[in-house]
Amino acid sequence: MKKVLSILICLVMLSGFLAGCGTVKEETPAVAGTASTVAQEPASEATTAEPAPQEEPKKEPVTLTLFFYSPELTEQYNDMSKAYNEETGNTLDITVLQNDYATVLNAKLNSGDIPDVFMSSAYADNTTYKDYIYDLTNEDFIQQIEPTALTGVTVDGKITGYPFLVQSHSFIYNKKMFADAGITTLPKTLKEYEAVCEQLQAKGIQPFATGFKEWWVLPQTAWQLLAPIKDSYSGDYAKFVEALNTGALKFKDIKEMNNVFDMLDLVKKYGGKKPMESDFNDQTSSLAAGKVAMIHQGNWAEDSIVKANPDIQLGYLVAPVGDNGEKAGIMYDSNQTLRVAKDGKNLQSSLDWLRWLTTSDYGKNWIPGKIKQMSPIKGAPAAAAQLAAETSSMLSAGTPSYSWYYQRFPSGAEQGLGTILQGYCAGGKTRDQILDELDAYYQNLLKGAQ
Amino acid sequence: MLRSKKARLMRGLEFAGFTLPAIALIVLFVELPFIMSIVYSFTKWNGLDKVPKFIGLGNYIDILSDKSMHQALIFTLLFTVVMVTVTNILAIILAVMLDSNIKGRNFLRAAFYIPNIVSLIVIGYIWRFVFSEGFESLYNLTNAGIFEISWLGDAKYGFISIVLVSVWQAIGFYLVIYIAGLQTVPRDVIEASYIDGAGGLRRFFGVTLPLIMPSITICVFYSLSNALKTFDVILSLTYGGPGTSTTSIALDIYKTAFSENRFGYGTAKSVVLFLLILVITVLQVTVFKKREVEA
Repeated sequence: MKKVLSILICLVMLSGFLAGCGTVKEETPAVAGTASTVAQEPASEATTAEPAPQEEPKKEPVTLTLFFYSPELTEQYNDMSKAYNEETGNTLDITVLQNDYATVLNAKLNSGDIPDVFMSSAYADNTTYKDYIYDLTNEDFIQQIEPTALTGVTVDGKITGYPFLVQSHSFIYNKKMFADAGITTLPKTLKEYEAVCEQLQAKGIQPFATGFKEWWVLPQTAWQLLAPIKDSYSGDYAKFVEALNTGALKFKDIKEMNNVFDMLDLVKKYGGKKPMESDFNDQTSSLAAGKVAMIHQGNWAEDSIVKANPDIQLGYLVAPVGDNGEKAGIMYDSNQTLRVAKDGKNLQSSLDWLRWLTTSDYGKNWIPGKIKQMSPIKGAPAAAAQLAAETSSMLSAGTPSYSWYYQRFPSGAEQGLGTILQGYCAGGKTRDQILDELDAYYQNLLKGAQ
Repeated sequence: MLRSKKARLMRGLEFAGFTLPAIALIVLFVELPFIMSIVYSFTKWNGLDKVPKFIGLGNYIDILSDKSMHQALIFTLLFTVVMVTVTNILAIILAVMLDSNIKGRNFLRAAFYIPNIVSLIVIGYIWRFVFSEGFESLYNLTNAGIFEISWLGDAKYGFISIVLVSVWQAIGFYLVIYIAGLQTVPRDVIEASYIDGAGGLRRFFGVTLPLIMPSITICVFYSLSNALKTFDVILSLTYGGPGTSTTSIALDIYKTAFSENRFGYGTAKSVVLFLLILVITVLQVTVFKKREVEA
C-alpha cells in the first residue's frame, strides 16, 4: 500500500513539474554575460519602472511597453514616465536590462512578444532588426531632429530609428593637473602628446590610465586615431567600409594604421606599470583621484568621475592623427537609438509618445536637464555637464568631429577587432602580423554576415 | 510465481516513479537542446532570422581553417594537461596529509573545500581584484618583484594565474574523494606491508596508490572534462585576453555565438568540443580502469 502511495506522490510531483514547464511564460531574469552592443556599464539587475497610478484619463488610456538598456538611467526613465502619465494619462511600462539585453530582445522578437518601442545601436543594427522596425521617414517630429544625428539611422534615405542621445568620446584630461604641470598649449599631434607626457612624468604624474583591459575602450581609441580616413573617400565612411567589405581595401594597405599603432604605443608607454590591467573603473577612479592626467573615454564616464571627485575640472583633448594637428578631432555621434516596432500593438501611441518627447517642454529638457547628456533635438537647451558643454564649445569653435564610423563594420567587429588590437598592445606581435589578423578576422565576419 | 511477477512490476513502477521526474527534466533541458544544437550546427543562423539557412557541413569545413579556434584548442589542451596533473597530485598529497593525525585536520578539510562552494564567476572577480588592487598594495608594502608583475595583462603570466585560481578552486572537491578513497584501504594490507618491512614511500606507491586507483579514475575523469570545458574563471579573470592568448574553446564558442552573432557556427564548434571531450574521457577511463586492483 505504501508503495502505491509513493508512486502516486511521484506522479503528482512529475505532473507538477511538467505543468510548470507548460504555463510559465514570465520574463526570465538576466544571467551572467555581456551583451555586445551595450557594454559601457558593469553588471546590473533588471529593473522595472512602474509609473504612478493614473488619474482621470482623458481618452482611452494606453499602456506602452518599452524595452530599454542603460540601467544607470532608470531614475530618469521613471521621471519621464511619470511626467508623461501626468500630461496625457497614458502609461509607460518600461523594462530595463543591461547584461543580456540583446539576447533577451532577440528572444522577445522571435517569440512574438514584441515591445512597442525598444533600444538598439545605430548603423549595423539598422539591418539586424530590419524586419521589425517601423519606418519613421514621414513623421513630422523627425524634422525636429538635428540632421547630423540622423546619419546613423538612415538607410537608403529612410529613417529607421529615433536618435536617443548624442555622445562624444576622445581623450579626457584633468584641467588642473595640466595647469599645475605648466602645460599651456593642448597637444594636437603625436609629438606634442609625447612632449606633454614627458612633462607630466617629470612632475611624477602618470600620464594615462589605458583602459586596455576593456575590449570596448581599445577599439574606440584606435578607430578615432584613424577617423580622418574618410577624406580619402570623399568624406563618406560608407564608401570606406564598402571598400573593406568588397575586399578592395585591406587594413594592411591603410598606411594611416601606423598612426594608430604609434599612439597606442605611446599610451601604453606612459600608461603605468600594468597597462593591460586597466579597466573602465581604473580609468575613472584614477582620473578622479588625481593619479593620472588623461584617459580615453566618452562623456558617459563623467558621472562616475564627478561622483568620486565633485570638484574636478574635465576637458576634452583632440586625438592625434599623426603630424597633422588640423585634422585632430573628437568623435561625436548618436548611437543609442529608439526603434518603433512595426508590429507593436500601439503603433500610433508609440509615435505620439515620441512626438511628445520631441516637442513638449518636458521632453525637450529631459536629456540635457535630467540625463545631463547632449540632446539630438534642434534648439534643445545645453546639457548641464562639463564634457557635453566642452563638446558643444569645441564644435562651435570648428574642431573637427567624426561620426562613430566603426559601427558600420559588420556586427561583432567591435569586439573581435578590439581583441586583436589588444593582442598588439600586449606585445610580442609585429604590426604586420596584427594587420594580417585584422584582415583575416574581418573576412571571417563578412562570411558570417553573408 | 504470480506474486513475484507482481512484485517485480511494482518494483519497476517504483523505480520509474522515482527516476522519471529527473529524466523528464534532463531530456527537456539537456538532451533536447543538445539535439537541437546538432541540427543548428548544419545551418547558418544569426540567432534572429526566423528561418536558419541549411548549409550542410559548411560550418565544419570552416572550423578546419579557423585560426582562433585552433589557438583556443592549443590553449585548452595545454591548460588541461597542466590542470589535471597539478590538481590531482596536489590533492593526493593533501589527502594523505589530512588523513593522518595532524592537528586541526577538520578545520583544514573545511578550509580547502570552501572555495568549491563559491561560484566560479565570483571567484574570478575576487581574484581579479587580488591580482590588480591587492598586489599593488602588497607591492607598495613590500617592494617584492613578484607583486609588480602584470599577472593578468601578460600572456604567459595570464596562463599561470588562471591555472592557479582554477586549482585553488577545484582542489577541495578532489581532496574529499581522495580522503574517502584512502579510508577504504584495508588496515590489514597496510599492516602486512609494515611486517614486510616496507618504508613510507614504498608503502605509499606499492600499496596505497594502487588501492585508491578507483578514486584516481574518477578524479582524473572529472578534472579532465572540467578543464576541457573551462569557461567561467577565464571569463571573469581575463576575458580571454590580452588579445586571444587565454581564450579557451568554450569562451571562443561563447564569443562566436553571442558577440559575432554566428549561432550556427558556434553550435558547430560546440559539437566538436563535445566529441573531443567524449573521445579523450572514454580513452582515459578505459586505460585507468585496467589498472584498478582489488585488495
